[in-house]
Amino acid sequence: MTTEWTKARPNIDLDNQEFWAGLRDHRFLLWHCGVCGAWYWPKAYCRYHENQPFAAQMSWVESSGRGVIHSANVHRSVLDPAWKEDTPFAYVLVELDEGPMISSTLLDYTEDPIRVIGRKVGVVYEDHLDVGEGFVLPKFALLDS
Amino acid sequence: MGNTRLAIVGLGVITGTQTGRSRRMLVSEAARLAIEDAGLDKTQINGAIEMRAAPGGGDRTNYSDGFPRILNLPVNFYFPIGRGGALASLGIAAAYSFLDRGLADYVVISGATDVRSLAELARARGHRGRPHDLEKEGYWGSPVGELRAMSHHSWMAARHMAVYGTTSEQLGAIAVQIREWAQRNPEAQMYGKPMTLEDHQNSPMLVEPYHLCDVAQVSDGACAFIVSTEDRARDLRQVPVQILGQGFGDVAATLWWDKLNYTQMAIRTARDAAFSQAGITLDDLDAAMLYDCFTAEVLFQLEGYGWAPLGEGGAFAETGAIGPGGSIPINTSGGLLSAYHMDDLTGFIEAVRQLRGESKDRQVVGAKTLMFTSHGGEMLSPGMCSIHASTILGVGR
Repeated sequence: MTTEWTKARPNIDLDNQEFWAGLRDHRFLLWHCGVCGAWYWPKAYCRYHENQPFAAQMSWVESSGRGVIHSANVHRSVLDPAWKEDTPFAYVLVELDEGPMISSTLLDYTEDPIRVIGRKVGVVYEDHLDVGEGFVLPKFALLDS
Repeated sequence: MGNTRLAIVGLGVITGTQTGRSRRMLVSEAARLAIEDAGLDKTQINGAIEMRAAPGGGDRTNYSDGFPRILNLPVNFYFPIGRGGALASLGIAAAYSFLDRGLADYVVISGATDVRSLAELARARGHRGRPHDLEKEGYWGSPVGELRAMSHHSWMAARHMAVYGTTSEQLGAIAVQIREWAQRNPEAQMYGKPMTLEDHQNSPMLVEPYHLCDVAQVSDGACAFIVSTEDRARDLRQVPVQILGQGFGDVAATLWWDKLNYTQMAIRTARDAAFSQAGITLDDLDAAMLYDCFTAEVLFQLEGYGWAPLGEGGAFAETGAIGPGGSIPINTSGGLLSAYHMDDLTGFIEAVRQLRGESKDRQVVGAKTLMFTSHGGEMLSPGMCSIHASTILGVGR
């Protein structure tokens, strides 16, 4: 993208760096238990049984990037000046097919947020490789328009 | 609960815009007022706690020089405590530990907010955004539209609407009744500004489904209070406000994992512990100060505490039950929504004043047992993953 990025940059740290690396490759990784198959985001020790030290049985594994909207809102007033050009925009909480919840912007939708709850979405990758050290943002688009 | 019963013996309150006054001076002045209100001398204060809205839910932790030094209080301990809007509740819980073990006689607990002054300063500077800002460590979402409380809480309203059919008008009924209470409180930022349901519906849509009138005030202010044991309280100037029980709940226990955290809050464990310690049932409450950062927050508590069944908080609000003349007065000073936002201190202050009989035009006659609640910051973002506290206060019990 050529327009200047005036919004916040992601904070990439020891616990999420592999997740962000996956996004750079347009892969949606989730934290996965090698023992029982449970999925998590963000990182956690597995809930269902004893864990190895530092949850060593877990790893970041590619997932579908698909889910269902659990809740939604639409920003109609500019509350953060960095989002002025983007407003109005919808911001959704998605229950991924694998189980964990994650949030992001919902693209191409600015109508009643209640009506979009329950709709299916899939991840869309937005590249910002020229901003700082570079990153790719995951956003969502409706699948069943 | 231990054998020691505690009471609030002094209160200091500062409200209104405080341009030009630092947080440390506000905290210090509130503490001085509380000591004076108690009829104590500062040489008697041997414990101090500062309430700060630490992450999640706020970052008002970044200044130094503590008020005990500024006021020259001979304290044996001083430390900050707080999580989001859970300030008075956590301050009381911590003070209990020290008083119960005889480590202090009188503990002063003080906190301040300067959010309004900061907001006005930012506006004066033209909201000059800082390009290439880094998201905070461990936080998700600023790069993709996340606005913290505004995003999470509007999701709560939206999810409750989708699952239970709650309407914006029902949230408006909550806002309208709490605004009515504010008309009886000259300290309220919305005093002299009555609001109809139509006004609420016509107020600008901020983050749909939340209108401007669904959202708390932005305020400056400070509050300090003195806690001691009941036996010492009896010898002092003010009617002792007894701390009868406390309870806590965290969404991280089960609601977050069960994905019920956008229709419920962690009220059950908080309510059960607080009511059990105080020896009360819901009907014993003469009034309640429910943390009201947003209107759906109140609705979730109307359901969680049991005034309405799950899903029916909106219908309950529409009966007029929570406003003047209603069966359960809620937020009689106007709450965060219409009076001022001082986290759980807003409700705490009014609870103490009601019990002391100082609430004038909005006095709940014969108020003996009250509750104030607290909502504390999200453990992670995104994720409505907050602490909830229930504190029962009383007089003459």
